[in-house]
Amino acid sequence: MTSIGTGYDLSNSVFSPDGRNFQVEYAVKAVENGGTAIGIRCKDGVVLAVEKIITSKLLKPGSNKRIATVDRHVGIVSAGLVPDGRHFVSRARDEASSWRGTYKAPIPTSALANRLGGYVQAYTLYSSVRPFGVTSIVGGWDCEAELAVDGQVGSGPKSGSGGKVEGAPAGGPGLYMIEPSGLYWGYYGAATGKGRQAAKAELEKLDLTSGKLSLSEGVKEAARIIYVAHEDSKDKEFELEMSWISSLDGPTNGRHEEVPKEIREEAERFAKRALEGEDEEEQMEE
Amino acid sequence: MFRNNYDNDAVTFSPQGRIFQVEYAQEAVKQGSVVVGLVNKTHCVLVGLKRNAEELSSYQKKIIEIDSHMAIAIAGLASDARVLSNFMKQQSLGSKMTYGRPIPLDRIVGQIGDRAQTNTQHYGKRPYGVGLLVGGVDEAGPHLFEFQPSGLTHEMSACAIGARSQMARTYLERNLDKFMDCSRDELITHGLRALKETLSQDKELTVDNTSVGVVGMAAEGAKGRIESFKLYEGQETVPLLEALEQSESAGAGEGESMEVDS
Amino acid sequence: MDHFPGTWGRPRNDVYGAYDPTYLQTTGPKTHTSSPAVTGTSVIGVKFNGGVVLATDNLASYGSLARFTDVKRLRVFGDNAVVGFGGDVSDMQYIDRLLESIDIRENYSTHGNMLNAKNLHTYLAKVFYKRRSEFNPLWNHVLVAGFDVDGKPFLSSADLLGTTFSAPHLATGFGAHLAVPILRRRFPEEMPIEEITREEAVSALKDCLKVLFYRDARSIDKYSIAVITKEGIDLKEDEQIEGQSWAFAERIRGYGRQTN
Repeated sequence: MTSIGTGYDLSNSVFSPDGRNFQVEYAVKAVENGGTAIGIRCKDGVVLAVEKIITSKLLKPGSNKRIATVDRHVGIVSAGLVPDGRHFVSRARDEASSWRGTYKAPIPTSALANRLGGYVQAYTLYSSVRPFGVTSIVGGWDCEAELAVDGQVGSGPKSGSGGKVEGAPAGGPGLYMIEPSGLYWGYYGAATGKGRQAAKAELEKLDLTSGKLSLSEGVKEAARIIYVAHEDSKDKEFELEMSWISSLDGPTNGRHEEVPKEIREEAERFAKRALEGEDEEEQMEE
Repeated sequence: MFRNNYDNDAVTFSPQGRIFQVEYAQEAVKQGSVVVGLVNKTHCVLVGLKRNAEELSSYQKKIIEIDSHMAIAIAGLASDARVLSNFMKQQSLGSKMTYGRPIPLDRIVGQIGDRAQTNTQHYGKRPYGVGLLVGGVDEAGPHLFEFQPSGLTHEMSACAIGARSQMARTYLERNLDKFMDCSRDELITHGLRALKETLSQDKELTVDNTSVGVVGMAAEGAKGRIESFKLYEGQETVPLLEALEQSESAGAGEGESMEVDS
Repeated sequence: MDHFPGTWGRPRNDVYGAYDPTYLQTTGPKTHTSSPAVTGTSVIGVKFNGGVVLATDNLASYGSLARFTDVKRLRVFGDNAVVGFGGDVSDMQYIDRLLESIDIRENYSTHGNMLNAKNLHTYLAKVFYKRRSEFNPLWNHVLVAGFDVDGKPFLSSADLLGTTFSAPHLATGFGAHLAVPILRRRFPEEMPIEEITREEAVSALKDCLKVLFYRDARSIDKYSIAVITKEGIDLKEDEQIEGQSWAFAERIRGYGRQTN
């Protein structure tokens, strides 16, 4: 059954006879036109990357960041309607801050993804709102060490009974992708936006499920994948923006930060070399 | 009466994922008279072309001071701009009251962006029908932002919005690398030149229809850290327009290049 | 044990008398905490050429009881500011969380946390003043150290009333009486801070801490010290007061076990 002309696609929250919410599907269309965004969950961190198409020469280069910091340890990148992405991030920040208000500790990435999924879903329930025109990738690092409670000023007695199991694994990388319907999954590698098909194909080649890829390799691969995904819209110039969150003993100490310029540029050189190599291979085959 | 079924309100996506009501609101910006903004390493300049409703009426206000470190230039529905500018004034004042700090530009631009986005996602609201250029300085230096009814905001090196603004943008793109390192006065002249590009054949820049706003970092050794926002209107624009004229006659011989001093 | 869990674990009426609930006020005007509970004592600070030093001891007292002996009362904010807290420790923890939330918020921007110590002091003074105007004060006296917008060393105090005061060297609590005279002698009013070295400032504070430990019964000899310079914050939280001499105590009469 088609959507157009039936009237079932004119209002949010309305089911068509075959059980679809067309307004949500149209919102997905807005996502599919946005710049490619990806996230990779590595062994010792998470990397986020986005392709920013340069729509005007007058834009200030290096500004207009599309990856946002939510709490110290979480970052979000979205594809689709940019202002909707900002709304989404603003909600994420409120959730993270209210979690701290209650638990005096940073929000686990999984809990944040869950709350945001619930928030986005609520925008599919009413005719008075429209769904979010973004698919968002949430990347975070949950602290693997015993964290001080927010506002803790002392360390307490050095000996005592205690109830903690020593050596139990805790924390680690988290990567989630939330769609306009509110649906979300955890991912090893996530891709959305215009070049998502090509990006997914590349992500699948990385053998992420084995959990061997290191963060520094992940940064290079992320850059390469954005370059690969850009091939289809080669005529347009773009800027690559990348951020990462490492483990506590890694380069960002568990914080979400922009990938430093030198490392990003190195990754871009790697990406360009890899692309050229591919072209040569193709020519050889011909 | 409608072009299609999907453009009645701002909470309906078209099958292509577009929101027509927002796109129509962007058209309202193009109805407004043109404003131009540009930054270099030390200053931000906003210039605007003021219209008058009729021969004997006064001219509209195109540039509004928000605080001593920041101003906006508007194109589109002036009353929507007033709502936004009042909000910005409150936020800026709030920052000065609680922290003793001029509000950072990206912060306040983000706030109006978020407000505008809300108007595109909830029934019963309408998108703002105005585009803004927000110019100012903060601790990270001078900035220029473009704000659109969709809630999109961009930091720009230079920008022009409003009727026939494409001509100004073309000028700015061609001269981008020239004004990055130029002086304050040269930056104003570049702004006025861009503004002039948009005029139709029978129009001139005059003391009545030209507005110029300047804000920047203070010169070495000056008192205070910033050069507070200054709005030039009426007779005060005379020297600026004269400098424009001079630069044009000087530049006429050598095509695109511009030498104010020669 | 009887069948009334509500009475389990309570002092027995036949032994201790009926419970007196009068302190649990059920009528009358709404009241707030009107005195601190667990407290930290003095905070002392000195400006020097290129920065500021701040120090506190590591004690949190419950009345006259030395209740917690490893409490860190110097709290870092961003890259270039430190707040030293005297007064109620739970209120200090509340403010610490407040500062953390501000730091997180500031770091949303690509430019990072741009609030300097002066901005922070302005803010804290407003928080204190608002709370005392609601008759619900935050029971603290703080020193804020760092830099102002021009990059000059900054040191200022704010108290539970919202009062602010600034000087090249400052002390709160007992230190206002015992440390300030020492600091004034070391660094006279006419002496510009450019003539004070980091080493002089640090050693002056260590001497003040020692005197405070001698004479302030709510202090201990474990302390924290933070040196704030353009290069960043050098914070040491587990220091020991060195070179103590209690010889003077031999001459004190009228206290302790000796009677003459």
